Amino acid sequence: MPGPFAGFKWLALMNDWSVFAEGFVQTILLSALGLTLALGLGIFFGLLGTSHVKLFKLLNRVYVEFIQNTPLVIQIFFLYHGLPHLGIMLPVFVVGVLGVGVYHGAYIAEVIRAGVESVPKGQLEAAYSQGFSYWGAMIHIVLPQAKRISYPPLTNQAVNLIKNTSVLAMVAGGELMYHADSWSSNNLYYGPSYVVTGLLYLSLCFPLATYAKRMERKLEVSS
Amino acid sequence: MKKLYVLIVSLMMFVALAVSGCGSATDSKPAAGGTATAPEVKAIQDRGTLKVGVKVDVPKFGFKDPKTGQIDGFEIDLTRALAKKILGDEKKFEAQGVTAKTRGPLLDNGEVDLVIATFTITEERKQSYNFSDPYFTDGVALMVKKDSGITDLKGLADKTIGVAQSATSKKAIQEAADKQGIKVKFLEFGTYPEIKTALDSGRINCFSVDGAILYGYLDDTTVILNDRFTPQEYGVASKKANAGLAKIVNDTINDMKKSGELDKLMQKWGLK
Repeated sequence: MPGPFAGFKWLALMNDWSVFAEGFVQTILLSALGLTLALGLGIFFGLLGTSHVKLFKLLNRVYVEFIQNTPLVIQIFFLYHGLPHLGIMLPVFVVGVLGVGVYHGAYIAEVIRAGVESVPKGQLEAAYSQGFSYWGAMIHIVLPQAKRISYPPLTNQAVNLIKNTSVLAMVAGGELMYHADSWSSNNLYYGPSYVVTGLLYLSLCFPLATYAKRMERKLEVSS
Repeated sequence: MKKLYVLIVSLMMFVALAVSGCGSATDSKPAAGGTATAPEVKAIQDRGTLKVGVKVDVPKFGFKDPKTGQIDGFEIDLTRALAKKILGDEKKFEAQGVTAKTRGPLLDNGEVDLVIATFTITEERKQSYNFSDPYFTDGVALMVKKDSGITDLKGLADKTIGVAQSATSKKAIQEAADKQGIKVKFLEFGTYPEIKTALDSGRINCFSVDGAILYGYLDDTTVILNDRFTPQEYGVASKKANAGLAKIVNDTINDMKKSGELDKLMQKWGLK
């Protein structure tokens, strides 16, 4: 009896490997660009959050709270189906980059803010007393220390971002999950399809997660 | 490296477990009461209810009315007839909503005995599941926005067509497009309402699925073109191992065809 993992289903998958390869490449591209955007937004809004100017702090809170407290699925849905009604038709790839970029940007902003705030106040005060300006103190004294604390959670965000690109499958995003869904719902060989897809995501995320672990350990030793 | 090894081994164990789990589920079913009743049919009779996977988003076939919460349609009536045949009571069934993505796994893990969900019969799918003889045949049709001015497939050259993920309609349209020498692009969505949303937002220029299903989504702004492509045959699917159940289903459907009962049901739902 042919179960979900019958041999001929694996063979069919091997024949159609290019379908999965295409999705895999798209997922990597999406993740890379999404991460770049997320880092940019995260650092910008994270620093706004540590500022003493009320308006900047408010901007940070609005962005972070609004994005963190709505599901990514809704945000993607809005970008994909909602914006066209307002006359803005973004290509699905841009929807993907914007979607995961803005979403994880909010989390990264919190990571950056937490990193900066974890540096003892005395450091900044000492820098001021040595004649550093605010930005001088930030760049030379505070940020290098904050960076070390922020790195491991940042890597976790990168891992989550890669996994979250799979939400794009919902709006025919053309990435790995979409191709896995498309291929397996056609011939119903879902067994091999989702195992292989899972392994491909694993092959992207596992090295990153391991890297994060290693850095975390290093931090513990040095502190 | 060691971690990776452990990981791979545990993954393999998981897969093995999943496979053996499926096997034992079939083995543990009660032995046949007589030569006439297959073990899986006996199991359904002992349980006293037929578990069926149906569509909940396809008007006229299987549609859950948001007001009453009741699922009804042509395929639900077919389910009633099968429940009556197997259990002697047309009310003894449990309907569960399925999508293109879930109907295969639900059959494999035994969550449902049958899938009656606008399931097109293909050679490839027959390798994984038993399909009954077709109970409904319908051509793939195209729905476009009225203001698009598109009147036939030719008008869709270099345009994007939205199809459902159980993409037999994709193949049908692709073949027709190849014949006419035009190029079309496809986007696949998980459910029909999502395709309609994409048509409304202008993401796609055309919503293509089997004609009878498409009529459920017709509104003031859209029009269904006259073209019909490659007839799609719907069959009742069951697990490959459950040959006895498949036979009962098939006999029932053929009886219903002969007696004209099936035609009556189609007329009831305006499918003829």
